Parts: sequence; structure tokens; C-alpha cells
Amino acid sequence: MSAEIKPSKSLLHNALIKIVSEKLSLIALIIVFLYFLVAMLTAMGVLASNWGQEIGQSYAAPSFEAIKNYFGLDIFGRSVLLKTIKATETAVVIGVVVSMISIVIGTLLGMLAGYFGGFVDELIVWFYTTFASIPGVMLLVAIAFILGKGTTTVFLSLGLTSWLGLCRIVRAEVMKHKEREYIQAANAIGATHTRKLFNHILPNISHLLIINFTQTFDSAVKAEVVLSFLGLGVVGRPSWGTMIDDSKLELARGVWWQLAAATFAMFLIVLAFNILGDALRDALDPKLKGK
Amino acid sequence: MKMPNVLLIILSATFLVFAGCTKKQDSNERVLNLVSPAEIKGFDPIQADDLYSGREISKIYEGLLQYHWLKMPYELVPNLAAALPVISKDGITYTFKLRSGVKFQDDAAFAGGKGREVEANDFVYSIKRLADSRNQATGWWVLDGKLKGLNEWREKNSKLPATNYDEEVEGVKALDKYTLQFKLAKAFPQFLYALAMPFTYAVSKEVVAKYGKEFINHPIGTGPYILPIFDQGKKITYTKNPTFREKLYPSDASPEFKNLLSDAGKRLPLVEKIVVHVMKETQPAWLKLNKGEIDYYSVPKDNFATAIKNNKLSDELAKKGFILEIAPQLDVTYTAFNFENKLFHNKKLRQAMYLAYDEPKANELFYNNTAFPAQSIIAPGIAGVDKNYVNPFKGPKLTEAKKLLAEAGYPDGKGLPELKYDIPDSTVSRQMGEYFQKQMEQIGVKIKIISSPWPEFQAKVKKKAVEVYGLAWGADYPDAENFLQLFYGPNKSPGANGSNYDNPQFNKEFEAATQMQDSPERTARYEKLNKFLAEEVVALFGVHRQAYILEQGWLKNYHPTDLHHDAVQYLNIDTQKKAELLKNF
Amino acid sequence: MNMYAYIFRRLLYVIPVLLGVCLVIFVLFNLVAPDPAFTLLGKHATQLQIAELHHELGMDRPYWVQYFDTVKTAFTFDFGYSWTSKQNIWEMIKAGAGPSLSITGPLFVIENIFAISLALLVAFYRGKLVDKIVLVLSIAGMSIPSLAVVLFGQWFFGYKLGIFEISGYERGFPQFVPYVILPIILYVFISFGGETRFYRTVILDEAYQDYVRTARSKGISELRVMFKHVLKNSMIPILTQIIIQIPTLILGLLFAESFFSIPGLGAMTINAINNSDFPVIKAMTILSAVGFILFGVVTDVLYTVVDPRMKLK
Repeated sequence: MSAEIKPSKSLLHNALIKIVSEKLSLIALIIVFLYFLVAMLTAMGVLASNWGQEIGQSYAAPSFEAIKNYFGLDIFGRSVLLKTIKATETAVVIGVVVSMISIVIGTLLGMLAGYFGGFVDELIVWFYTTFASIPGVMLLVAIAFILGKGTTTVFLSLGLTSWLGLCRIVRAEVMKHKEREYIQAANAIGATHTRKLFNHILPNISHLLIINFTQTFDSAVKAEVVLSFLGLGVVGRPSWGTMIDDSKLELARGVWWQLAAATFAMFLIVLAFNILGDALRDALDPKLKGK
Repeated sequence: MKMPNVLLIILSATFLVFAGCTKKQDSNERVLNLVSPAEIKGFDPIQADDLYSGREISKIYEGLLQYHWLKMPYELVPNLAAALPVISKDGITYTFKLRSGVKFQDDAAFAGGKGREVEANDFVYSIKRLADSRNQATGWWVLDGKLKGLNEWREKNSKLPATNYDEEVEGVKALDKYTLQFKLAKAFPQFLYALAMPFTYAVSKEVVAKYGKEFINHPIGTGPYILPIFDQGKKITYTKNPTFREKLYPSDASPEFKNLLSDAGKRLPLVEKIVVHVMKETQPAWLKLNKGEIDYYSVPKDNFATAIKNNKLSDELAKKGFILEIAPQLDVTYTAFNFENKLFHNKKLRQAMYLAYDEPKANELFYNNTAFPAQSIIAPGIAGVDKNYVNPFKGPKLTEAKKLLAEAGYPDGKGLPELKYDIPDSTVSRQMGEYFQKQMEQIGVKIKIISSPWPEFQAKVKKKAVEVYGLAWGADYPDAENFLQLFYGPNKSPGANGSNYDNPQFNKEFEAATQMQDSPERTARYEKLNKFLAEEVVALFGVHRQAYILEQGWLKNYHPTDLHHDAVQYLNIDTQKKAELLKNF
Repeated sequence: MNMYAYIFRRLLYVIPVLLGVCLVIFVLFNLVAPDPAFTLLGKHATQLQIAELHHELGMDRPYWVQYFDTVKTAFTFDFGYSWTSKQNIWEMIKAGAGPSLSITGPLFVIENIFAISLALLVAFYRGKLVDKIVLVLSIAGMSIPSLAVVLFGQWFFGYKLGIFEISGYERGFPQFVPYVILPIILYVFISFGGETRFYRTVILDEAYQDYVRTARSKGISELRVMFKHVLKNSMIPILTQIIIQIPTLILGLLFAESFFSIPGLGAMTINAINNSDFPVIKAMTILSAVGFILFGVVTDVLYTVVDPRMKLK
């Protein structure tokens, strides 16, 4: 294991160069960018704002007469294509918010535990061991039950159940960094705990957060489908989860297009994030440097 | 990692793959294969709150009365009673003579393991057991306040350390071994229907005592089938009760059932074995039906388009010998308002919302156009419904709706707060919610959909924490009272009146009507009450659904029904025809 | 011996974690969850009945007593009775464990063997076409909703081809065999993606270690490096992952058992969730938490006993 730690800025910079220079990861990056763009445009109402409009017969099959009809229509005669696009917004918002919640909780607790050690560490380790011991699905369901339905519930229940892994990694990493020279140096000039934690250590472990973001994002997108299956999903706006839930019934009448559209949309971004995650890990994790 | 273990695992895995093959059906066995679309909540009659548990319990237990299998409209006939009761002139005292020689099924709980004869005392015990607050019976409502002294007995005993079953209750007494007498608190002719419901079936004291909490898994009744132990499985296998009394297939029938008389006079039950498959998902059940492994099943909503065209079966299904049975159900769907919220006291608002709602389209989207539009609350086929009546506020009439909404004080929905629409969390409910939202949008009424798991949804209704919500009501018995009580003030939440509608005038007339014996006059009163609710638009009445059941060609004597919980004993299998038809599968 | 002291300490640590799990469960279900009374009493409930029921369920006792009850169940496994089916929960769990394990057991074995072999293959050919194809297939497997796979599988293999039972179950070996094949096949497809991705990462983590580079620089063939060094050393994280999966096996196929009419614990749990049957949900949560904690101890001990880095030094 290399002991030398490069300043993180150049690490990130290098990572970006590495990703852009590889064809596959570049494509993945572009896909992710496009999804975020689509999400932003729908949020602003530029794109797919009329997804709720009835444009034809209930369950009309895909046809090429208009772009809106490419993926067929749903039970109320709405365009599946527009719904899929609108659902991208839902998915991106869920992915980002959930990742943020989990990163904030995970990083904060992990840093505190790793930095202060002793009783604080014991307490936080106990706390996450407790949570980690309860199966994710059960915890998800329980939280969703208590918070009632809605988008907030989806955010919180997923956010509150996905910080564990990051917390553990951050804790271990901070423990290592605590002993490094640069912190010793900061000690010598009498830096405060907050300063050492947030100005010195945090930048040095930020690559972990980025890698974690790619993982949490796609597990959140997938978890939304599970929640929808349990009837705990998003209401009032289209999401891939509810589209797939709808298709549970539709398949019997041979209506496959809603399932296909939602699945494909999800497949693409999960794939992109996986490729990106791999590339990021290769580029960012010092342990893996120099393959 | 030890290699031998890995090898062992691989070997057993390969074995698993090769051992697979499906079992062939034996068409000579007279077995009924049925589906229960819901989990069975045990075999205690007093807890048989849901239709599906009721159906299973009725294979084993029996009550004083039953519905005639081949008569419509529903007609009560004696079952464990020897005859219909003698009713005193004031409608208060009901005296039953019991059938003699009826035996409980054999069980170790009885002396010598042989089931003993059923006596009037067993009914007294079973009724008290239903009333015992320690049992938390879901069926208590059928007798709550109905029998003299029973509520007092319940209350008094709930405070004692143990329930005293020996204390006499005036309302239910055994006069001698075969004579049972009920005394009602006030005249209530619907009481007889309670005696055909699973809640009041005869259970034996000895069995309850022997199994205690496990009684729920050890059903011992007097009925046509036995189930030694209920193991919570997804497959429940019943066999014929060898000590079942001589009960015969009916020889008379209403005109529409004359063709079901070929087994008339034969001893029941007609098949030796029943297998009930608990299948909550429609697709696997539908596939099994199509493979001939299930004897009948209702056509799933989404298989409808491919299975049925113009009320005729598709060629593929017809070739396999399937028969389509269509029968109206005793139910109603409606969108309820919570009248605790003053907003909904505005009659014109309710009427405007009803006028905006496109029922025919909903019928097409959600019921494949098979349901009857509901004009009011009472289901057709029950006395109290005027067939020619059309609710003047039934939509879609958008201009009128907008006009009324303006008159209500909310032109184009201005000034009206966003309404919360509560739904249970199933896929179809969610779609119905979205549809309702779209419909109301047309006149400017904004709807927010809130979906909850079924229990929580129910709890919200019971706690009056809802504004607008959709639900369906299935009849407990074929009397208009069971529908009209949904808007009877004293039944407010947590009672069945989840709308919390309370109109003194309606309450008074409802009470008067329900105390009358069946007569043209009572029917006229029911009709009047029904129309009153319709024009008040106390709810947005949806549809009365119809059952579309696909039946195998070899199944005999079957017809779809809501209230014949005990139907299986009449069903039969034509084994020859089954062998023949199975060749086409 | 140091190791025994460690094991003892690790075992002792089970207690606070178990108390924590009970606390979480207690807070969720006894303090903040919705009132179950309405579900239990059916559609004609009265106010008096609700009060009686609260008393019957012990919901009117002080909170610390209720918490203590929760803790007690974690040690005695006396979970009481289900609210909806009124069955003894421990009996329900015993009855459901067999059917669930008869599927998840073989599935677990097949899936892990399959995923590890595949991961080794793609780790060997990392960055090559094979790696990319497997990546795409894995993500496809992960993205296609399990529901769609199950519905299609039942229709195609069960109905169209008629080679497997569509659904159902029969207790006892070998009667259950025909019923479990289809769910196992379908679930290998559904879950191989995630597993393969995981094992690939684990193996590659090892492949980039210094000692591997050293070995490679000595001119040892890639194949030999892969099996001799990488696989041997990644066996620890792989075994850890395998062991830690074991307690999840009792949860069965959470989402598919009701499609296959399998009377297992997965269907039971989902059913309990749908019916707000708290005692059953609590029981399953406690049971799986206890499983996780105990198997966690096993993996930790395993780690200390055979840490490869310790041996390398």
C-alpha cells in the first residue's frame, strides 16, 4: 500500500482525465449527463410537461405515427414515452436526494467515530451495528409505514437505510489519516477539531464519497421499484417503479411496452453508473493505483 | 473450504435439476380443485370476518339456517334446525326445533373419540362464545344489541377474572335438548340472516376446551368435510366426513337453475376430496385453470380482453370446453365523503362532483364494461331497488356540473381547498385514484391522492381522518338494511358508517323500516330511503359488479354466488367428461 | 490465548447490539406505528371493543414494560400470536422455514458457484470484451424487474412448455422438488448480476495488491497468479460474503413466494407487512437480526483466525 497521499484535487483531476480518455467510461459519463439534463428540463417544464394528457385509446400499441406513440399508450391513453421521460426526473431526484442524505449521515458519523475514537467511536459503532443487523427491507418498510406515504417517505426511508456502508469505510479511513503527518502538523499549529476534520481530513477522503455516490444512486433507483411493488412508492407523478407496478397487470393483456420502456430507462442509467463507478474506483482509489 | 462439501453441493444441485418433471393429473379421482384468492385466517367461526375464511369454515361447520342452493333471490331454509322457527306475534321470541341425530365430527376431544350429538345447549354456548369480549370476535356486530341480556352478560363478564358461561342469558336459552329459544331486545327480522352466517355456527365446548388457543387450527364441526389439522399451508386438503348425516341434494329450483337438478335427491357431499389452493396472484391461478388444474376461477380483469369477446368465450377457451358463468354480485362501489368535515355539507358541491364523474368510462377501464352503473347504494336483486330509477346527478354532464359548482360557491373550483383522496395501496386503486383526479380536474376541483396500506387506510377511515375516499361494500346478507345502515347516524365511525353521515330524518325512517317484517310496504320504504340517499348524493355511487367465472366443462351444479358459503357440498365432477376434455389441453 | 479473549469479547458484544435492535423495533412498532385495533376488529368495530382490545394486547401498560417484553422475545423466541391469523408465531416460523429453505438453500449454492466462476472469468479477462458483455448482462439481470421474470417464466416454462409446475408446494423431500425448480432457475437469473459484480470487485481488489504485482513480475503466468494467489487470498472476503448471506436465507424469496404459492417465510412476511401484523413483522425482524449478529461473529472470528496478510508477513 502506498503511504504517499497526493493532494485530492489533482487526484480528481486525474480521474476525470482518465474517464474522459476511455471510450466506454466517456459514454457512461455522457449518458449520466443526459439523464440529469432531461431531469432538469422536465423539472423546469420544458420537456414532457404534458405527460398527463390523453392522446389516444387506452393501451394503444406502439406505433411510429408520432414520436409520442413510439412506446405506446397506458391505461388512460397517455404516452408511455412522455411518462418515461417525466419519470427520469423522479428517479434523478430520488437518486440525488437519497445519496445526499446517506452521504451526510455516513460521513459525519464515520468521521466523528474515526476521529475521536473512544466512547464516541463505541457509541457510533454500536449504532451502525444495530442498524446493520436489521434486514434492509424490514427497516425500509417500517420507516415507510411510520412516515406515511409520499415522496418524502421514499427519500427518508432510503436515505436512512443506506448510510451504513459509507460510515464504516469513512471511519476506517479517518482512523488512518488521524495518524498521518499532515494532521500531526495541524496539531502542532493548534488547529481546532472542526478545522482538522473538515479542512484537512474531509478533502482527503472525498474520493470515497464520490465512489459511494455512484453506488447509492443506483441502489436508490432500484429500491424505488421495490417500494412501489409494496405500494409504498411515489404517488401523483410517474416513476419507473409505478410504471413497472402497473405492468404487473398489463402483461396479462399483452401490454409489454410500459414495462419495457421503464426497464430500459432504468437499465441504461444503472449501467452507466456502474461503468462510471468502476472507472472512478480504478482512478481514485489509491490502493488500486498502478494496475 | 473442503472439497468434498463442494462436490456434495454440486451433486445435489444437479440432482435437483434432473428430478424435475410435472405431475400428471388423475382424472378418475373425484377431487375438486379450488382457489382461494386470500390467505385463510384460521378456522374459528366467530372470527370469519372475510368472505374467504367464511367459505373454508363452512366446509366444516354448520349453522341453524342456510340459503337454498338452487333458489334466487336468496331463500333461507333450515340446516341444523329441523324447520324454520316459530316467531311470536310481536317479533321478539324465536323458537327453533333442532334436527335430531346430528353428530360432531370424531375427535379425541370427545369421550371415546366419537363425536357426540348436537344439542340446543351447543348453540347457547356458541352464541355466548361470540359475545365473550375475551375472544375479540370480529363477528360480534351481528348480535351487538340484538339479544336480550347478552350485552349485559358480555360487559359484566369482561370485568370478571374468567368468563362465566353457566350464567343464564335471557336472550338465548335451551328449553330442552332439541328446543332453542331466542329473545330479541327489539323486533329485528334480519336476525334470521345472522343464523346463516359463519359467526353463529355450532362449535363444541369440549373441542374449544381441549385445544385452547390452537382451536383455530382444529376445526371440528358437523359439516360435510373434515380437515384434521390446518397447517397454514397454501394447499388445504379436505376429505369427506364419514359420519355426516343424511343430507340430500335439493329437488326444487328456481327456473334459472332447473338445469342443475341432475343430482337431485343424491346424498351430499358429492365429491370425496377438496383441494383449496391459496393463490393471491391472478396470473398463476389463471394459468393453472388453463392447464385444467383448477375447476373454476374468475376471469382476471386484465385477461378479459383476450378471453371474452361480446360476452362469449374465445375460440381457444371454448375448444377446451370451458363454460362462462355471469352473475351479478351483491355489492356496490362508492366514493365516500367524510361528513365530519363541514365542507361536504354543501349538497351542491357533492352533486357537482358526481355530475363531473364519467362513470361509463371508468366501467370500461376498470371493469371491462361488465358492471352495472349504481344509481344509489342498494345492490340490484335485493328488495328496495327501483329498477327504472336513474339518479339525476349521475355524470358525465360537465356543463351542469360547472353550473352547480358555481352555485355551491366555488366557480371553477375557486375557493375550494385541495381535497385529499384516500386509497388503499393496490395497483388498481392507484389507477382509480388517478382517474378520479383527472375527472375532478375538469371542473377545477383539485385532488391530492394519498395511498396507504389497507389496514392503515381502514384505520384512517375509522378515526375520521379522511376527506374523500373510495371503497366497496359487499353484502353480509340479502337485505337492504345491510346497505342503508352505511349511512345510519348511530353507526358512525368506527362503525360501518364511515361517511359519518347523520341525518335525524333518515335515521328515524331507517329504524322504522328495519323493524318491519318483509312486506310490500317495507320494500316501498326501502325504495324511498334509497332514492333519498341518491338525490342527496351522500356518496358518489360507482357500480355494482358482476362475477365472470370460467368453469371447466366437467364441473357440475356450479353457479357463482356471494352468500352460499357452503357451496362445495353441492358440486360434482363428471369424471368421464374430464378424461375426455383433458385431451384437448 | 488472545484469540479466545477476542472471541469472548465479540460474543459479549452481541448483547448491546441485540438490545439496540430491540430498541429500534420497539420505537418503530410500539411508539410510532399506527394503531392496529381497526384491522383486528373488522369492519363493524365499536369504541368499547377498541379499548378492550388495547387492554388485551397489553398496549395500555407502561412503555418500559413493553420494551422489556420485546427484549425478552429476542432471547426466548416466544413471539406470541399473530394478529391476523391468530397463530402461534414460532409455530408459523417453524412451518415456513422448510419451504423457504428448500428454495433459498439450493439457490444460494448454485448462485454463488455460478457468480464466483463468472467473476473469476471476467477478472481474468478484465477490460476485455468478455468483461464488458458480462457487465451488461449483469446490469440487465439487475434491472429487469424480478416480477417480469417470474411472470414470463411461469407463462413460458410452466404453461407454454409445461415442463415445470406453475405454482404450488408439497411438504417433504422429494415431493417438493418439482415445485422449487422453476423459482430457483428464475432467481439465479435475477440475482446473479449483483453477486457477480460484487465478487469481481473483491477479486480485482486482490489482483491489484503489491504481492500480486511482485508475483507477476517474477514471470509467473497470469493463470497461475489468478488461482494461486488471487483466488486464495480473496477467499476470505468471498467466504465472508457467503456466510453473511446465510441469515437472509430464512427470509425466503420475499417477493416471489406468493406468486409460486409457496408457504414460506417470505410470503408470510409480505403478508404481515400488508396486514400490519406487527407481532409477525417484529418476530421476523428480531429473528433475522439475531441471525445477522451471530453470523457476524462467525465471520469476524474467521477473519482473525485466517487473515492472509498476517500469514504473508
